[in-house]
Amino acid sequence: MADSLRDASLREVQIEALVVMKIIKHASQAFPTTITGSIVGMDNGDKLEITNSFPFPSIELPADSHQDSSSLSAAAPRAKANTSYQTEMIKFLREVNVDANNVGWYTSTNMGNFVNANTIENQFFYQKEMNERTVALVHDVSRSSQGSLSIRAYRLSPMFMSAYREGKFTTDSLQKSGLRYQDILVELPTTIHNSHLLTSLLHQIPSNPPNEPLDFPPNLAALSHDPQVSSNPMCPNFDSLDLSIDPYLEKTCDLLLDSIENHHTELNNHQYYQRSLGREQAKITAWQQKRKAENAARAAAKQPLLPEDEWQRLFKLPQEPSRLEILLNSRQVEQYARQVDGFTAGVNSKMFAVKNSLLPGEGV
Amino acid sequence: MGDTDSFLHLARPLGPAAVGSQPSTQPLNVIIQPQAVFSILDHSLHRNTDQERVIGTLLGTRSEDGTEVEIRNCYAVPHTETAEQVEVDMDYQKQMLALHLRANPKEVLVGWYATSAELNTFSALIQNFYGQQGDGTWPHPAVHLTVSTVPGKDIEARTYISAPIGVTAERAADSCLFIPVTYEIKYGESEKSGLELVSGAKEREDRTTGVFTDIESLERAIEQVLEMLDRVSNYVNNVLDEDATPSSALGQFLMNALSLAPKVDPADIERDFNNHLQDILLVSYLSNTIRTQIDLSNRLATAALTLGSGDPLAEGGSGSGGGQKGGQQDQRRGKPRNQNRGD
Repeated sequence: MADSLRDASLREVQIEALVVMKIIKHASQAFPTTITGSIVGMDNGDKLEITNSFPFPSIELPADSHQDSSSLSAAAPRAKANTSYQTEMIKFLREVNVDANNVGWYTSTNMGNFVNANTIENQFFYQKEMNERTVALVHDVSRSSQGSLSIRAYRLSPMFMSAYREGKFTTDSLQKSGLRYQDILVELPTTIHNSHLLTSLLHQIPSNPPNEPLDFPPNLAALSHDPQVSSNPMCPNFDSLDLSIDPYLEKTCDLLLDSIENHHTELNNHQYYQRSLGREQAKITAWQQKRKAENAARAAAKQPLLPEDEWQRLFKLPQEPSRLEILLNSRQVEQYARQVDGFTAGVNSKMFAVKNSLLPGEGV
Repeated sequence: MGDTDSFLHLARPLGPAAVGSQPSTQPLNVIIQPQAVFSILDHSLHRNTDQERVIGTLLGTRSEDGTEVEIRNCYAVPHTETAEQVEVDMDYQKQMLALHLRANPKEVLVGWYATSAELNTFSALIQNFYGQQGDGTWPHPAVHLTVSTVPGKDIEARTYISAPIGVTAERAADSCLFIPVTYEIKYGESEKSGLELVSGAKEREDRTTGVFTDIESLERAIEQVLEMLDRVSNYVNNVLDEDATPSSALGQFLMNALSLAPKVDPADIERDFNNHLQDILLVSYLSNTIRTQIDLSNRLATAALTLGSGDPLAEGGSGSGGGQKGGQQDQRRGKPRNQNRGD
């Protein structure tokens, strides 16, 4: 209970602009490989302030290796070599007055497919080994390229933590704890914070179109070369007006289908388990009946009775497969479905806008 | 930024070169990525109170001929500076470099930064350390980036490379000629969304901002476009009313932009629009159906009263089958609804 009380106090995550930029740089450099890194910061009451970050060493694979480099680097945060790398780096950062508390790790993802065993294990490792109050920052590279940055902070819920610690994900234990797939990850609201110096720098950089009238260009060619016009200001960002959303939708659908396939495999596993369980149970009942009949015969013949609980030694019930995979998969499907909802909401409004601009005077 | 200062223009500067070897061509253009600047500013904020300036190492890439240097990353190096002497933690610098290179094997040492615009004899000393043979950037000259962080004044960045200067041998280590070079701050496509968000916080008192959802950023973008369209149509109206000075170049530009509108048959638009909308709604409907089915399957599996009856799984199995069936129903149901919306 003490755990859940302390959890309740961590309500908000504040990310320094520097960390945002560092994660974006790291993720976009390695795209589409999944990258991971460590974040440091300060625990300030119910707010976790993330003030700096550093990447984990990249893993160079020999060319003939069959292992996927993505899965290796996704497992990096809990690799032994990286834990020492992290300790060493934090030790050095402390010397230059950086907040030297490890507060979690970050990872990149592609279209939100981050809900998998790797993420869960990493975060479990952090919440168990390092510090209870750690978060996982997830940066979605593909979604950020559509115009609005996608960076989210997640934690494992206390309920899931205790279940995972015991490693029990059977139907029984789930019924008892009432753990649902919606309860695996808890998302924390995130804000981005700028330092004073950065604010001052941002005010120096021209961002909006200039307000005062400019000189008229002498000709068309000059217009396209005018630094005032062609300089690419930071804001506004018109990427979010892009109409071609179909590739994203298509990719999400593909991923969704993969998830369904996984779900199906897991269901088959369970069905297989049920069938073999049924068979074993039928055998046990048969054996018990036989023993009972034998005992009745022995009782009639005034012979000593045979023990009736020997079946426990003779037969072995099959192990129920863990439902963890199903839980994660369900959570992943939920993630995709929400993502599709988000896409459609945006693209529908864009479609109506396009239609009305092409067919003025009609429609709404 | 910062290019308004006039400075003495010198002939092509010479980098440090050993006697007899070909003098290397110099980096004459430096590209700085925003996260390096952010990092420097952050370091400047975290300096000890008695320190005037802090220094650090710049990492990045160098083009093959060495004329272009891209600063991608940097890290702080502790140093102490008094009126008489300067002390840089060489050991720290070396170990930190090794750590960084493990994470980013493609980046190399390109130079160093200081958070004050001043160049003094210690600057020369450190510059010579970074540019030396062996651990330094030799044969390329080290790049020195100064970012002035004086409160109340503009943040100003300058980049220099250095050339040796003819003095006596014992003074050679702490003297060099700093030659200003041009630089640009460049950001990549992927960083745009991040920078937009970061700069969204600059007008706010608490210097924080939330993360926008897709639809919110769409709204913002549309509002900005509408505002700009207003300005343009205002100008055009003023020209028509003979209130504003006309410009043929602007007129031509606007004509070009307007002619980009495709000429399509309204019926075609109507048809394509409805088809596309239908597809999208279908995908959305299907994905939500799948979500519901998965939820149902989970609930049925864990809500079963007796273990081993086989029921929960049979139900779960038919659950995913139901998802496909639901989809087909939707196709039939989806059509009339879309047409309603299209009108």
